[in-house]
Amino acid sequence: MINIYLLIFKRFIFLVLTQVLIFNKFDFFGIYDPYICLVFILTYPVKLSKISFMMTAFAFGLTLDLFSNSLGLNTAACLTVAFLRSYIMSFVFGGFFDPRGLKLIKNYISDSSFSQKFLYLTSVILIHHFILFSLEAFSLIYISTVIYKTLITALLSGIFCTTLIYIMIENEK
Amino acid sequence: MQQLIDFILRKKDVVVYFVLLFLSLSLIFNSNYFHKSKFIIFSNGITNYTNEVFENINWYFELKKINSSLVEENLILKNQLEKFIEKSSIDSLENVAFQYQNAKVISNNLSSIKNNLVINKGIKHGLKNEMGVISSTGIVGIINRTSKNYSSVMSVLNTETKINAKVKRTSHFGTLEWNGLSNRELLLNDIPETADIKIGDSIITGGMSLIFPEGINIGVVSEIMKQEKFNDTVMKFNISNQVKIANIEFRENYLNIEVKLHTDMNNLNNVYVIESLNKNEFENIKK
Repeated sequence: MINIYLLIFKRFIFLVLTQVLIFNKFDFFGIYDPYICLVFILTYPVKLSKISFMMTAFAFGLTLDLFSNSLGLNTAACLTVAFLRSYIMSFVFGGFFDPRGLKLIKNYISDSSFSQKFLYLTSVILIHHFILFSLEAFSLIYISTVIYKTLITALLSGIFCTTLIYIMIENEK
Repeated sequence: MQQLIDFILRKKDVVVYFVLLFLSLSLIFNSNYFHKSKFIIFSNGITNYTNEVFENINWYFELKKINSSLVEENLILKNQLEKFIEKSSIDSLENVAFQYQNAKVISNNLSSIKNNLVINKGIKHGLKNEMGVISSTGIVGIINRTSKNYSSVMSVLNTETKINAKVKRTSHFGTLEWNGLSNRELLLNDIPETADIKIGDSIITGGMSLIFPEGINIGVVSEIMKQEKFNDTVMKFNISNQVKIANIEFRENYLNIEVKLHTDMNNLNNVYVIESLNKNEFENIKK
């Protein structure tokens, strides 16, 4: 059990630092940053209760915000994605999803089809980005810009998150 | 209570989510000036709209108060205007010839041929017989009886009322009388046939009796009646009412002018009583 918390803590620190120090300065085409931090939410153990998950996501988003000087934006986005994740998982993986959390993320990766993995990844990323950018713009005038930015950033985040998840899962036994 | 707690426990995920979301949103609104101002504009828009709606409803109930305050203001302005007019004339003594008081009509009658209305001011407020009463649109009548708190006003729609009037364009003087027929029309008598009166001419008070100041609107000429037309109307009225009304006869050698009143006598509420300050002096010299 302690192992899991330690793992989460390690991921927390590692992802915050990579996001803040490296990927926030990525500036693809000047404005698009991949959100690697979503790996934390994507791979959070299903075993732990939803409330603790939301609280951790809240703290995670808050830490990101403190570093990137955008207080509350990442917090709200991460929190919402954490809240919606169980619904997305049960929708995407169907009968394979196990709310009690006997299966590890590793099992989900190895045992699900490509379309399931793709759908899970895209829906989480898209929801997160859309909430983040629309809160950032906070005006209906910029709705087209928000959607455009969401799609481009989602593409980038998708590529980086997939790569990182594969590397992480391979290394963490 | 038990059910409420059960509900919260069952939905604890959602509750926790919304608490945390509220926290993060409040963080956003507190730290980002743009979001804060947007939020304030949005919430103010809603509150202002509701306030406006409620204010409109409240305003309706305040109308009575507003009305009376407007009447008060009107009164002050009318008195000031009177002073101003006097000042601008050649009279160097700067004395005010007329003073206005407001009053409210509490009873109004139109059905008889000697119509009276009652206003809510009397001797206590300095009202006397033979004071003129006007509304904001035109003349109403002359006070004929006063008690301590109330006064009876002989309306222009009374066959006994005779008011000195003149045609504004040509300055021909005449006497305004009611024939007892229609409650929007009066007759202007005593204007010679040679006068060049046209339909649409304004009729104003003549200012010869000191009951009304000169130049208060009465109405416009609606018709200059011929003998046959006159007989027709009288006949029609007599047949429909079965009453013979006095004081109606066609005057030859004079114009029989029908005047349409500006004032809607059906719909009187606030009126002004005119007090002539020079009346005694005037009466003395007339003797």
